[in-house]
Amino acid sequence: MTVIGQLSSPVIYLICGGIVAFVAVVCVIFAVRAWRAGKAIGMDTAVLRRVVTSSASFSVLPAVSILLGVIALSGALGIPWPWLRLSVIGALHYETQVAQGAAEQVGIHLSGSEMTAPAFVTIALLMSVCIMWGMILNLFLNKKYTGRLSRSQGGGSSFGDEAMTAMFIGLVSVYLGSYLGQWISSGSVFTFAGSALPLLTALCAAVVMAVLTAAAEKWKLRWLEDFSLALSMLAGMACAALLGAVM
Amino acid sequence: MKREEIISRYERGTHRLGKTVSLITLVLLIGAPFLIGSTLGAMPDLGAVARGFLAVGLVWTVSSVVEFLVYTPMLGSGGSYLAFITGNLINMKIPCAINARDLAGVKAGTKENEIVSTLSIAVSSLVTILVLALGVLLLQPLQPLLQSPALQPAFDQVVPALFGAMAYKYYRKNIRLAVWPLLLMSAVFILLPSLQSQTSILIIPGGGLAILLAWLWYRKGKKQ
Repeated sequence: MTVIGQLSSPVIYLICGGIVAFVAVVCVIFAVRAWRAGKAIGMDTAVLRRVVTSSASFSVLPAVSILLGVIALSGALGIPWPWLRLSVIGALHYETQVAQGAAEQVGIHLSGSEMTAPAFVTIALLMSVCIMWGMILNLFLNKKYTGRLSRSQGGGSSFGDEAMTAMFIGLVSVYLGSYLGQWISSGSVFTFAGSALPLLTALCAAVVMAVLTAAAEKWKLRWLEDFSLALSMLAGMACAALLGAVM
Repeated sequence: MKREEIISRYERGTHRLGKTVSLITLVLLIGAPFLIGSTLGAMPDLGAVARGFLAVGLVWTVSSVVEFLVYTPMLGSGGSYLAFITGNLINMKIPCAINARDLAGVKAGTKENEIVSTLSIAVSSLVTILVLALGVLLLQPLQPLLQSPALQPAFDQVVPALFGAMAYKYYRKNIRLAVWPLLLMSAVFILLPSLQSQTSILIIPGGGLAILLAWLWYRKGKKQ
């Protein structure tokens, strides 16, 4: 059996599937606890239900794109390991870069034909070691950090809320700025040689979001409000597919 | 039971559970390569792992610190434990939690926000796990469709589509606040193209500027 064949054998599926199942159980426990606590402090069931439906509908499209990451990595690492990494702790943009960097360290290219068992386990361990720091920080500092934040916010002062909105606006601005920069200054400044596709996709999704928001507000369509983000993303992606065909 | 008692019990339980499952997940993730290695008859080259960490891991370590400092206040304690275990923060968990907060009409820093954020991240993670599990099961028939050249640009542009939609939602209500970070960040990425691959690090100055402006206007509004 080839190494890639061994990496997709039932026993590897069992190891990786077991960890994915553990994390799924953890998610269910957190969800049930949050739901019960919400009800116990008097939150409206309809509100909690809206949170569940909008979060579920929003997550489908990004999850499909994450599946593409599994497919992309499966040629070199088999199917179970990328499946595990992108279901648990991993990030789409991170996994490929680190896997490639790790492959260089063991002296191979990231491909199925060059993969060996020692190279695979070294790459797999490096992928885990590189991304675990967020979880370690949470393990040791979450309680202290969130405790300090809630003391300084005094249980939800109005500026605490504004600060979080501002932080998110700053975050979105960084990404939109990077799309503009990728188009205008690809490689060196003012070349206009980069791809405008990310910028145009973002613009298309924003326009569709504007239309859906206006429709939801005008006709008081609460369900549309819940699905507007998922629908805008879908429209943006459709726009990217159309533009990709002509650009 | 009083609200304070319920919240305090919930918070204690969240930290206990969060720490325990984070620790178990860490052990599982570090242990898995060794366990897989034992079935393949090979063990990791720890020297190569150390060299690789110095070469590619340090950047991600800095990025993890930034993510922890920036995202934990947005997600609250439960959401933060869960988001760092399940991953895909920027392209999924953060926008999902922010969107849920908005729909539920709760304010950051409140216990209601903590609950909404935890619930949204748990649901989002379960959907991801389900989609990936189904995708892996149906990989053979799905592969030609998902990898078709016509759909490739669509799947490559999920994050821009997400941020475009979120930008409209947040900019329309805060356009005065959004203009300056957007102008500054655009100028940075246009004039310093080498930073285009460092977006996660630039979230600190971008977010910092937005918070500073929000604080100045907040104080001005209070004085008036």
